[in-house]
Amino acid sequence: MRRSWSHWARAVAVGAVGLTMVAACSGRSTTGGDDAGSGTVTLKINFWGDFGLQDLKTKYEAEHPNVKIQLNSGEYNAQHEDLQKKLVAGSGAADIAAIDEGYAVQFRGQSDKFVNLLDKGAGSLESKYLPWKWKQTLSADGKTQIGLGTDVGGLAMCYRTDLFAAAGLPTDRDQVSALWPTWDKFIEVGQQYTGKTKKKFIDSGTNLFNPILGQQQVGFYTEQEQLQMDGGPKVAFDYTVKALQADISAKLVSFQADWDKGFTSGAFAVLACPAWMLGHIKETAPGTEGKWDIAAVPGGGGNWGGSFLTIPKQSKNVDEAYKLLEWLVQPEQQIEIFKKVGNLPSQPALYADPAIAEFKNPFFNDAPVGQIFPKMAQGLTPQYQGKKNGPTRVNVENVIRRVENGTLKPDAAWAEAVKEAEKASKS
Amino acid sequence: MSVDTAPRPVEQAPAPRGRRARLMGRAPQDTPAGLGTYLLLAVTILFSVFPLYWMFVIATSDDEALAKIPPAVVPGNQFLVNLEEVFSLQDVFFAAGLINSFIVSTVVTASVLFFCSLAGFAFAKLRFKGSGWLMLFVVLTLTVPNQLGIVALYIVMGKLGWNGTLLAVIAPGLVTAFGVFYMRQFIVNSVPDELVESARVDGATTMRIYWSMVLPAIRPALAVLGLLTFVATWNDFQWPLITLSGTDFPTSMVAISDLASGNYVIYRRVLAGAFVATIPLLVMLFVGGRQIVRGIMEGAVKS
Amino acid sequence: MSTTRAAPPSPRSAPERGTGGSGADERRLTWRNRLYRFDMRYMPYLMIAPFFLLFAVFGLFPLLFNGVVSLRNYELDDPTLPYWAGFDNFARLAGDEDFWNALYNTFGIFLLSSLPQLLLALVLASLLNRRLRAQTWWRVGILLPYVTPIVASTMVFSVFFSRDFGMANWLLGPFGGGDAPIDWRADKLHSWIAVATMVNWKWIGYNALLYLAAMQSIPRDVYEAAAIDGAGPWKQLWRITVPMIQPVVVFTVVLSTIGGLQLFTEPMLFDLNAQAATGGPNGEWQTIAQLIYKVGWKDLNLGYAAAMSWALFLIILVVAGINTWLTSRLSGGRK
Repeated sequence: MRRSWSHWARAVAVGAVGLTMVAACSGRSTTGGDDAGSGTVTLKINFWGDFGLQDLKTKYEAEHPNVKIQLNSGEYNAQHEDLQKKLVAGSGAADIAAIDEGYAVQFRGQSDKFVNLLDKGAGSLESKYLPWKWKQTLSADGKTQIGLGTDVGGLAMCYRTDLFAAAGLPTDRDQVSALWPTWDKFIEVGQQYTGKTKKKFIDSGTNLFNPILGQQQVGFYTEQEQLQMDGGPKVAFDYTVKALQADISAKLVSFQADWDKGFTSGAFAVLACPAWMLGHIKETAPGTEGKWDIAAVPGGGGNWGGSFLTIPKQSKNVDEAYKLLEWLVQPEQQIEIFKKVGNLPSQPALYADPAIAEFKNPFFNDAPVGQIFPKMAQGLTPQYQGKKNGPTRVNVENVIRRVENGTLKPDAAWAEAVKEAEKASKS
Repeated sequence: MSVDTAPRPVEQAPAPRGRRARLMGRAPQDTPAGLGTYLLLAVTILFSVFPLYWMFVIATSDDEALAKIPPAVVPGNQFLVNLEEVFSLQDVFFAAGLINSFIVSTVVTASVLFFCSLAGFAFAKLRFKGSGWLMLFVVLTLTVPNQLGIVALYIVMGKLGWNGTLLAVIAPGLVTAFGVFYMRQFIVNSVPDELVESARVDGATTMRIYWSMVLPAIRPALAVLGLLTFVATWNDFQWPLITLSGTDFPTSMVAISDLASGNYVIYRRVLAGAFVATIPLLVMLFVGGRQIVRGIMEGAVKS
Repeated sequence: MSTTRAAPPSPRSAPERGTGGSGADERRLTWRNRLYRFDMRYMPYLMIAPFFLLFAVFGLFPLLFNGVVSLRNYELDDPTLPYWAGFDNFARLAGDEDFWNALYNTFGIFLLSSLPQLLLALVLASLLNRRLRAQTWWRVGILLPYVTPIVASTMVFSVFFSRDFGMANWLLGPFGGGDAPIDWRADKLHSWIAVATMVNWKWIGYNALLYLAAMQSIPRDVYEAAAIDGAGPWKQLWRITVPMIQPVVVFTVVLSTIGGLQLFTEPMLFDLNAQAATGGPNGEWQTIAQLIYKVGWKDLNLGYAAAMSWALFLIILVVAGINTWLTSRLSGGRK
């Protein structure tokens, strides 16, 4: 008895030491992406939502047997915060990290932490890009380019034809576009819809605020990094509050589970649709195929979101990462992504390519997305997005949510939004 | 507890009658439980089980079952489908999370058992200068929540280069003041002094005595401490989240929170993952429930 | 530990066995002798060393170093700031709305969770204190919540308290009043109740077992003596049992104070976005531990987060002290 006991104890002790070593080793080896010995390189790409990379990964790996690609999609804000955390920690960032235009200024200010893509020969790509897109990730002195653009978020409205028909509204996309030349008209249509069906018209206040803000000349910040709430943000905020007072919002929190359910359940009939939203709808509500269509956005053109791919200097495989990055932004791949998830390339030459120009999206009732979105993107005057744009937007969105859930009076909301935005700008 | 327990003259008591009389003056533990007691206990158990049961219901349902009013209360048949989705998600490292949780909990448990019983033995049976003060120090640290040093711990781990590795999660758990305290209390009572003395006279070294006399004598206490440590380590969330989030090798708890914070939060997946990560602990409760109950009743500390 | 330097008390003098004999024997003896002396003098220190070393590095040092960090500018994304901040971080704390809001939430949730938790645990313990069939099974059964990971149970409760398809609203349906479903994440009261429910669920069984252990050590004749008062089971509980187990009641109050004021996992995962750490759109249920996480690892201001940790530490000390005093007064009352 005694003997077997001490055997057991010894085994545990030895096992503990052994496991600690295993843990230590496994901990170490994963910090580098290079699996020494086999000669294969693992490239990790961090992004959010759906960048349409799944098939491309398979394709690239087939062409490059020494490369393994690891796709890591997370939540929008969390991915940017995580990248920031890893940049200052000095290790742990992905080989290729996607950033959104809303965070571009923040990261280009730390251009020393990213690989200068100009050194890698990315300069030759400049002419292919929309000029403003190229500039968004260029450092202030113009000497460092930290990212290459993938998509732009040209705006449109996605609506449910079946729900529109049930409410006695037109379903044809041109007629629908004609319903709402302005946001005021849009809210009126919403009231009609809600009055008739007793159902809500839009998904959430924040998804009204963001696109309207994207249409303004100046966003939260001026190019001098001054928070300016009384310009664009005020316009967008007022429309949002007006819509909430008209009670046409389903009050869902975007990119959360109940919001996702809403696409299927018909909790709302319309939502602002930058090109990248198409992929999300398709992914979350596959059962609604053919019930959606796309109309013009009220108030003319606008942009909401759009991304870049960067290579943090921490990457152990900068050369391989750049090769992959360069491959990903080639026309062939960009067109593939557009067809797959709807993300509109930021290289205008592609808009004329028949593969895009003639593409109709079957999920959205064969809407000519290859016409709708490029037209929007080309007419854009981009907005400057300040260094604290990300946190500012989060704070103002939270104020809108409080109006939505009834804990903040609409007339007190604007003052609160200004206060919260100032807080974020100083954080 | 110094309470005057001298029984007072019984004659003074009014003559009790009926059922109430039978209960009177009898200690509760000698009073047979009535139907009401059983009913209330059954309700309590029901409340305890319900969230677990419902976790299973959601984990086995499809999307439609979750978007229904009234909510589904019967398990569906999608468990394997959901589970497969959880394990195949490439941006949530759930399988790695389970393995890591096993590694971390096992290493921490083994280490706590070994080092704490060693120190507990020294404090209980060996005479050395300063033992009184050192033990007092151990008892005092019992009450300090070491979560409060978490910011500095992160910086320390950063200097060591351990952030984002399992070492960062394992190292702070390797010993606990509670373990030393608990072991000492147990060894004081369960290993007779004379036995230690006579072994000494026979020329046994201290380690020899620990190995062949103390360890066998404290098996029950090791089982209790081991189970409690394993459960607490497995369930730990805050520190693993801080140091491991955003890496490819989270613990299972961090992996579940990743499931719940992506761009597509799908609760049947989240709860399928949660359910799987709960199973090992349910098994432990089933197998070692008696020991866990005993450990807590002997004064275990919340971790 | 400097104490290890001190001369150990001389152990019973080393055995003088094997006097005389060959030189080789003598050498072996001295070797044995040394080993023995080493074993007696230093072995105890070696045995406690792993604990103290590991604890010093990963427990004590961070706690003290935290104090240093709190006096520094430790903003990860802005290394240009001067090294020392003096008491700036603490000064900022005093005027930080978010901090006071989090403190308010922490106390609110703490009250809603600790009081019902301990009262229900008492009742449950007194039920378990009867002569029961299948005694062990009941005890193990109420421990289910204790072994369930908080992360897992919180996810269930998170669905349970969802606005549109949640079971809580469905159960409340007939009594809910008004046609709008309750949005459990919209205001302080409702979110606090939801979070407190999770805490209560987790800890009632555990505390009941602590009470049960104490109840069973009450001498039986105490109850016999009480017979003269004609106390029924309920009175028995409040007038005899509770005062008798007062030390354990105080112990659980201290435990739940320490645990409750550091509440993190439940409020964190109750958020629709489980890693946002904002505790609702307006910080409705953001606790201090959550705010520390946000300030430290989202805003990357570790110096300020360290200052908050210290503040929390002091608050815990004070509250635990007050609660100990209060509980002794209240539960000790008679007898």
